Amino acid sequence: MSVDAELDVWRREWQSETAVPAAGLRGKVQRQSRIMRMTLMAEVLVTVVMGGGTTAWAVRSRQPDTMVLAAAVWVFLAAAWTFAIVSRRDCWSPAALNTSAFLDLSIRRCRSAISATTFGTILYFCELLFCLTWVFRHLSQREPIRLEAFLSSGPVAVVWLCTLTYVGFVLWYRRKKRAELSYLLALDGRSEHALPNT
Amino acid sequence: MWSTAADNVLADFDSAIPARRALEQRFDRLLAENGPALSRMAGSYTNSTSDRDDLFQEIAMAVWQALPRFRGDCSERTFLFRIAQNRALSYLARNRYRDMRKKEESEDELELPDPRPDPEAGLAREQQGARLLKAIRLLPVLYRQVVTLTLEGIEYREIAQILGISESNVGVRLNRGRHMLRRLLEDQR
Repeated sequence: MSVDAELDVWRREWQSETAVPAAGLRGKVQRQSRIMRMTLMAEVLVTVVMGGGTTAWAVRSRQPDTMVLAAAVWVFLAAAWTFAIVSRRDCWSPAALNTSAFLDLSIRRCRSAISATTFGTILYFCELLFCLTWVFRHLSQREPIRLEAFLSSGPVAVVWLCTLTYVGFVLWYRRKKRAELSYLLALDGRSEHALPNT
Repeated sequence: MWSTAADNVLADFDSAIPARRALEQRFDRLLAENGPALSRMAGSYTNSTSDRDDLFQEIAMAVWQALPRFRGDCSERTFLFRIAQNRALSYLARNRYRDMRKKEESEDELELPDPRPDPEAGLAREQQGARLLKAIRLLPVLYRQVVTLTLEGIEYREIAQILGISESNVGVRLNRGRHMLRRLLEDQR
């Protein structure tokens, strides 16, 4: 069989599959777009509620410790947003770049996601330390409380549980992203011997 | 002053609705014209019908988001296949571990496409198509891209534009890809 005839046979076999999945695809796609917009809005909402809420509380109560809390919340929010903007700076691009350029972009996004987990974890533990110290001080001003009793109390136990979940998630996410990065780097290396086939 | 501003807002709103409708119509047309090709391409990167549908939906979503920015600097098909190839790469990278596990489990399973209205006439071709798809899935990604685009009848020049490589590189990859595909199909016999 000649090379072109072989290709024609394959082409006919290949194009014999004409199924197109999912009716009402546009509806699903528009719904997903809305969800993505809502996620972005949720980030902004958290900023406004957290920052605005603590600021309003500080203004109303006029207590030094609530003012410290409000200032700290804004510092943490500013740190989070600054990092998010800086790390995403080179990662926004139209979806229609050619595949080679898109691969570079994907590698940048992956590296950015991995460094974001490091930053996020550091920020989380800073916030945790600050919040626990603040709450302990706040409660101690009303009535004396032992540190051990505070750290093993019900509400703080919930915080420990959240922290464990968060650490578990970060470890899983980092492993996933590292696997993704190594795959993309293997593709980008164009090494004929190291080409992934999955 | 207020009435002018309100008029401007209303005018923008009025012009946005037809623009939106035009975008929707364009999206529907693109998907109707290229849906089977995109679905086949998605199938070459996934191991099950549900995964293929997921990837197809991801591609459709990326097309929907990128469509307003499309200024016609390449053909619609080039634009569409660029997005599809990019999404497929992202999908592969994201699901790397899961797919490797699945692949080992379903190494010997052959998933046939949905039955056609004329099952007897189409059965042999479907089985050949499924055999070809299985072999294509085993190709390294860089060859698979070129082979599937060629099987869709896309010219070297356009494939080079989609993938961001030179035309001679397309030729080299296609040659190697075909050679490997031939061997894989022979092994399946």
